[in-house]
Amino acid sequence: MNTTAFTPRPLTADTFAERWQPRPDATQKVRGELRYPTDELDWPGLLHGRILRSALPHARLLGIDVERARTLPGVHAVVTAADIPGTNNYGIVFRDQPVFCTDHVRFLGDALAAVAADTPEIAAHALSLIEVRYAELPVVNDPSAALADGAPALHPNGNLLDSSLIEHGDVEAAFAACAFVVEGHYRTPRQMHVFMETEGGVVVPDEIGGLTFRVGCQSAHRDREQLASILGLPPDKVRVIGLATGGGFGGKDELTMQPAAGLLALRTGRPIRIHFDRRESTIAGIKRHPVELVARTGCDAQGRILAHQLHAVLDTGAYATLGPAVLTNLTDHAAAPLYRIPNIRVSGQLVHTNNGVAGAFRGFGGNQATFAVESQLDRLAHAAGLHPAELRRRNLRTPQDPGVEGQTQQQPCDPRLLLDAALQSPLWASASSTDDSRWVTGVGMAMGAQGNGLGNGLPDAGGARLTLTDDGRIELAFGFIEYGQGVIAAIRNLACDYLHCAPEDLDIRLGDSSGPDSGPTSASRSSIIAVEALRRLQPQWRALLTSLAPPATPGLQPGPGGLRDQSGELVISYPQLAGAGTPVTLNVHFDFPTGPDATPRGRYLQLLIATVAHVAVDRLTGRIRVERLHHITAGGRVIHPPSYRGQIEGAAIMGMGMTLLEDVPMQDGQYLLDNLDAYLIPTLADAPEQQVDVIEGILGGESYPVRGIGELGIEAISPAITAAIENAIGVRPERLPVEPTTLLAAMQELHP
Amino acid sequence: MNDVFFTLHFTVNGQEQTLEVPAARRLLDILRLDLGLTGPKEGCSIGRCGACSVVVDGDSVPACLLLACQVQGRTVKTIEGLREDPLCEHISAALVNAGALQCGYCTPGIVSSLTAALRHNPAADVAELEQALHGNLCRCTGYNGLRQAIAELAT
Repeated sequence: MNTTAFTPRPLTADTFAERWQPRPDATQKVRGELRYPTDELDWPGLLHGRILRSALPHARLLGIDVERARTLPGVHAVVTAADIPGTNNYGIVFRDQPVFCTDHVRFLGDALAAVAADTPEIAAHALSLIEVRYAELPVVNDPSAALADGAPALHPNGNLLDSSLIEHGDVEAAFAACAFVVEGHYRTPRQMHVFMETEGGVVVPDEIGGLTFRVGCQSAHRDREQLASILGLPPDKVRVIGLATGGGFGGKDELTMQPAAGLLALRTGRPIRIHFDRRESTIAGIKRHPVELVARTGCDAQGRILAHQLHAVLDTGAYATLGPAVLTNLTDHAAAPLYRIPNIRVSGQLVHTNNGVAGAFRGFGGNQATFAVESQLDRLAHAAGLHPAELRRRNLRTPQDPGVEGQTQQQPCDPRLLLDAALQSPLWASASSTDDSRWVTGVGMAMGAQGNGLGNGLPDAGGARLTLTDDGRIELAFGFIEYGQGVIAAIRNLACDYLHCAPEDLDIRLGDSSGPDSGPTSASRSSIIAVEALRRLQPQWRALLTSLAPPATPGLQPGPGGLRDQSGELVISYPQLAGAGTPVTLNVHFDFPTGPDATPRGRYLQLLIATVAHVAVDRLTGRIRVERLHHITAGGRVIHPPSYRGQIEGAAIMGMGMTLLEDVPMQDGQYLLDNLDAYLIPTLADAPEQQVDVIEGILGGESYPVRGIGELGIEAISPAITAAIENAIGVRPERLPVEPTTLLAAMQELHP
Repeated sequence: MNDVFFTLHFTVNGQEQTLEVPAARRLLDILRLDLGLTGPKEGCSIGRCGACSVVVDGDSVPACLLLACQVQGRTVKTIEGLREDPLCEHISAALVNAGALQCGYCTPGIVSSLTAALRHNPAADVAELEQALHGNLCRCTGYNGLRQAIAELAT
C-alpha cells in the first residue's frame, strides 16, 4: 500500500503542476465562441415558442379557448393537450406530469398551451389572448395539510407519493439504556438551482418527419425515449443533442421545454426556439426538496451511540420526477452512514403539495440529511461532555463495515484520516473571539459520506464508442452532457492515460442520442463510467491498431501520434493507420459497478469529506460571513485538478448559499419571488477563501480508482457552518437558511 | 406591439451600424437577435447576473437594461470585439489558467467587466478588480479560481 496516497495533499496549481492543464473547452468559452443551446438563433425560418402556465396553483380546468391567439398575425401555431399525438405525460420515475393539463392543474408551473410566433414579443402577446376557465380548488400548502384527513388529493393515489424506512435493532429499548439523549428539529429550504443559462434550446424538423433537439439537458437518450412517446414518433425519428449548457446541477435532468417545442415544430414544420426567462424558470423549474427532519439520538456514558431515530418529511410538490429516488438517498444519509449505530429507525415521507415541483439537485437529499445528523452529533457531544471530534472518533465506522442498508461498500479509506486532518486544519488557530468586538468569529467542522451511482439496484448502465476515423482522428464518444462540471476534461485526461494518445489526437463527442448511451449525467457517475469504458476498451484498441500495422513491425504500442516501437519511436501515425482502409470502431456497454452482494442495495462506491468552516457573526445585525473553508476529501484519483477543485469549491459555495441565503418562499401555492433581485445567491464578495486537501488513495482501489466528486463538496458544508456559528456565539441554528434576525434574538436571550 | 421605431446609429465592435428598431428595444436583443452576436448571454433580464455585460463607452454594463434609444451614437464592445484585444487576451489567459470558469455562461460578462476595469486603471489592485465584478454572478465555481485570476491580474 502506498501510504502517501493516504496523506492529504493540498490541491493547487503548484502541487498538481503536472496535471494542471486548462480544460479543453476553456479557450472557446472565455472568448465567447461556444454556442450554447440558447444561442441557436440563426436557423432559417426560426420561430419563437412560449408556454402558457396556469394562473392558479390548484384548480379544475374547465376549458381553454385559443382562437384569438391562433388568429393573431405572426402566430404560426397554438397547441394544447388535444394536439399531442402520443402520450400526454412524462417523468423519470413515474410518468405523472402532463405535457399540457387537461382537467386538473396542480401548480403555477403547469403548462396549458404553447404558441409559436415570428418574434418572442408576438408569442408573449398571443399567450395573453388565450382564455382559460378554471374552478378553483383549495390549495395544499404544506405536507401536513396534504396528509390531513379530507385534504384535496392531487393524484388518484392521494398525496403520499412514497415513504421509506431503514430499521435495525430496537430503538426504543436502546434509548432507555442511553445515558444521554438529544432531540432536534431541523428544516432545510426550497433551494433553486440558478444555472446561469435557464432552460432552453431549439428543435429542428427534418425532411422525413423527424425532429432534432439541440437543447440543454442531462440525458439525451432518456429524453429521446420520453419525447418519442409524447410526439408519437418512433425513437429513430427523434434525435436529442445535449449541447454544452450553462449549468445543470440536477435541474435539467427532467424534461423542461422539449415537449412543447417538439409539438410546435411538428405542427409548423419549422425550427422552434424556447428559452425560459428567469421568472418562468423559477415558476416551472425543479427545486431542492424542503425537508423537515425530527431526530433523536442517544449514547451511553462512554459516548458510544446506541440509538438514532429520524423522521423526515419532504415537500415534493405537484409531480414525482426524481422525488422517490431523492427520498431513498435522503434516508440513506439520515441513517448516519459515517457512524456505527446498532439501533436505527429512519423514516421518510414524500408528500405532494401545490408548491412547485421538487426533484434532482446536487446532493440529492443527502446533504439535507447530513445537516441533521451532524448537528445531532454535536448536540450529543455537548450533552455527554465530549469534544465533538472525540464523539465522532468513538463512533466512526471502519472501512470494512457494511453500509446503512447492509451492503458491501468500497470505502476510500478510514474516515478517521479525514477527522485527524480536519482537526489539524490551520482554521482552528484563526478563530479569535474577542468579547468586545462587533464581529465574533468561530470555527466548526462536519463530515459527510456519499455514494456514486444511481444505487438501490436501479438499472444503471453505461457505454462508450471509440473510433479511428477515416482521417486518423481518435474519436471517443459518450452520451454525457458537459454542463460545466468538466466531464470533457476528465474524458480527455483519462483517454490519454488509457489509450496513451496525445490530447491533439483526440476528438471527444458528447451528449448525442444517436451515439452511445452512457446513462444519465447525474448521480456523480460519469467519471466512473468513463474509467470503466476505457479500461475495457484499452486491450481491444491496442489489438485492433496493431492488427492494422504492417506485419513486419512487432512490439508496437499505441502512443502520442500513433503506434510507437519499444524505444518510443513513432513508427506509424494514426492517419497512416486509418489510411489502411479498415474502419475501426469499438463499442462497450456495461453496468455501473455494484458490490458483490446477491441483491444490490444502497451504493457500493463510497467517498468521504470533512469540511472546516471559519465564520464571523455580526453581533449588531446577526449577519454571518464565511471567512474561510477547508475541505479534506477522499474521492479517489484526481483526474483533472482544476475541475476537481472547482467542483468541491463550487458545491461548497452552493451549499453555503442554501445555509445562509437561499430559499423560495411560497404562500398559498404562489411564489413570493421570481428572480435574482430577491433570490440571492453568493457573489464574489460573499465567497470565502477555500483550501482543498485530497486523499487520492482508495483501499483495494485497483479495481475502481476514481470517484465522481460533483456532489461531494455540498455534503458537509451546512453543518460545518452552523457548528462554526455555535462556536462563535453559542447558538446552534436548526433552520436553513439561517435568519440573521433569529440569531440576533437568540444572542439577546443568551447575553441580555 | 405598438412600438415607435427610430433610426439607431451606433458602433458595435468597431463597425458602424444603422438599424431601424423600436426605441425601447433592449440592447441585448439588438446584439443577439438583430446582429447575431451571441457572446453576451441572457441570465436574469433585470441587470442582476451580469451575464449580458458589454462595454459601452468604456464601462461594463448589462445589455438587458439599456434600450436602443440609450445607445444612440455610443460605442459598444461585446466579447466578439474584445477578444482580439491584447489586454483581453491577458485577462482570458489568467482566467483559463486559474480554472476560473466551468460552464462558462457567465464568462464573457466577467471578461467584459475586468477589461473595462483594467482599461480604466491598468494599475487596479485586488479590491478594485473585485469591486468591478460585484455585478457578475457565477453559479459553478464558488469564485476561488476567479480570486486567483484577479490576484494574477492586479498590481
